[in-house]
Amino acid sequence: MSSDFTIADCGDSALVAKAVGLDAEPAWRLVHALADALNAVRLTGVHDVVPTYDALLVEFDCAATDHDTVRRVLAHEAARLGPHPAPTTPPRRFVVPVVYGGEYGPDLPEVAAQLGVTEGEIIALHSGSDLTVRCLGAPAGAPMTDGPPFPKPVPRLASPRTKVAPGSVAVAGRQAVICPMPSPGGWPLLGRTPVRVLDLHSDPITAYRPGDTFRFVPIEPQQWDEYADLALGDLANSVVGHG
Amino acid sequence: MADTLTIRTAGIVTVQDLGRVGRSRYGLPANGAADQHSARVANVLCGNDDRAPLLEITALDFACVPSGDILIAVTGAPADVTVEGVVRPQWEPVPVRAGETIRITGIHRGLRVYLAVLGSFEAEYLQGSCAPDTILGFGPPLRAGDTLALRTACPPIDHPFSRIPLFRLKAPVPPFPTSWTIDVTDGPDRAEFGDTGQRLFDAPFTVTPRSNHIGLRLQGTVPRRVTRGEVLSRGVPIGAVEVPAGDELLVLHRGRGVTAGYPVLAVVTATGLSALGQVRPGQTIHFRHRTLPQAITAHRAQRQAIDALRTRVRTAFEALRIRAPAEA
Repeated sequence: MSSDFTIADCGDSALVAKAVGLDAEPAWRLVHALADALNAVRLTGVHDVVPTYDALLVEFDCAATDHDTVRRVLAHEAARLGPHPAPTTPPRRFVVPVVYGGEYGPDLPEVAAQLGVTEGEIIALHSGSDLTVRCLGAPAGAPMTDGPPFPKPVPRLASPRTKVAPGSVAVAGRQAVICPMPSPGGWPLLGRTPVRVLDLHSDPITAYRPGDTFRFVPIEPQQWDEYADLALGDLANSVVGHG
Repeated sequence: MADTLTIRTAGIVTVQDLGRVGRSRYGLPANGAADQHSARVANVLCGNDDRAPLLEITALDFACVPSGDILIAVTGAPADVTVEGVVRPQWEPVPVRAGETIRITGIHRGLRVYLAVLGSFEAEYLQGSCAPDTILGFGPPLRAGDTLALRTACPPIDHPFSRIPLFRLKAPVPPFPTSWTIDVTDGPDRAEFGDTGQRLFDAPFTVTPRSNHIGLRLQGTVPRRVTRGEVLSRGVPIGAVEVPAGDELLVLHRGRGVTAGYPVLAVVTATGLSALGQVRPGQTIHFRHRTLPQAITAHRAQRQAIDALRTRVRTAFEALRIRAPAEA
């Protein structure tokens, strides 16, 4: 077995492979390449793969296969890939307008206080660099990116919200996300984008893929309506003027 | 024009199937029937594909009327099932004539009843499944007056002797106790709970009303994480037992978000998940520790029982000259 990751049982119908001893970038590359490789071999009984930042969940029907078989194929594919698999698709860049603070990002003051910086500095850091999409996750295919270069990790809310507005831009730990649909959530909210994140009539329903990048651009609340008819897919490789 | 099934009393009812497969990577949870075993058996009893659309009826009374002759099967939680006022069995195929009212009332001990129709009905699909996704807003509950278009006409069911088909198909009926035993295996992060992990098995937990197909919240003496530190979001399995915060245990079910950042103490087994899909708020759960081989053996036995039922259904349908839709 490759020494770059460990495999653990995750109940009777799943395994989780985790990259170890690798930096964030090669760890992420490895688990996504492994997910692609596992999909390509179409192993009987395996129905879902969930590659994230440094881990890969493999879900299967244990009436049709077993842990040992899936483990063996994972190890074989990892050995075949080698430690530094190349990316398979060219990344795209999405420029995403965000109204920060106020009712749009009610946790902005609290996050600034926790990190010991000003609200303006939080906004500058969040919108100051391209953030890479690492995986699609909860809720509803949310784009999960690297966190902005904050001085330290952002704690989750002590009491999660029962409903987070769609388009909310949130951070936690060393991660950031856009919440595509109204849903419960425990991540502090910095702002909100007026653009529609998902398109239920396309397949997949998300325009972005792991490896793509997001650049958040601050806009004023009165600019909300200018972007309200747009979908995230319309913003690929686009330019948004500063407000 | 195709025959229809008209909903008369809706209660809480949705069109379901076994769920969305292969979309976890795009962040979409499986969803689908909360009690997969009962849903599967209902379709098998109608000669349908296991994945055919069927109705999931939760807790409240339900009634519907077909415009043509149909064959149905009702599985899941114990309930009073009548056709035009006559009591009919659950877990067996039941013929229904055009215009007769099917009533399902008094659902008890369990939470969800499944109703399948021979040939199934038309349903809207999203990403390969008709299962509702409440986060995406797909698959709203049915309302009184809604009609479902039946996919295949079912000729009147003819019995060579009595014209009344009497089925004795011996479908595998799971127990519906008042206090549930739910099987779990160790989760990948059990060590993060130290000795407190054992609390999962020491005393019962009570299911709170804040429970649904996304997850069940349980009250009891909860284990405590003994490690600290940030966990990067990663894929979590259906059935993951987590302790997010406070004094509640969270058990993820089929609508769970595919990623989370909490350590996984234990994972409910495949057979345990079907049982968990039937537990009512207020009922108690005892968790029972299983090894992986024990869990897998139980799941395979349950599936083999369904496979054997499928064979008996085929034989019975051939004898009664019922055309099984799956082979049509």
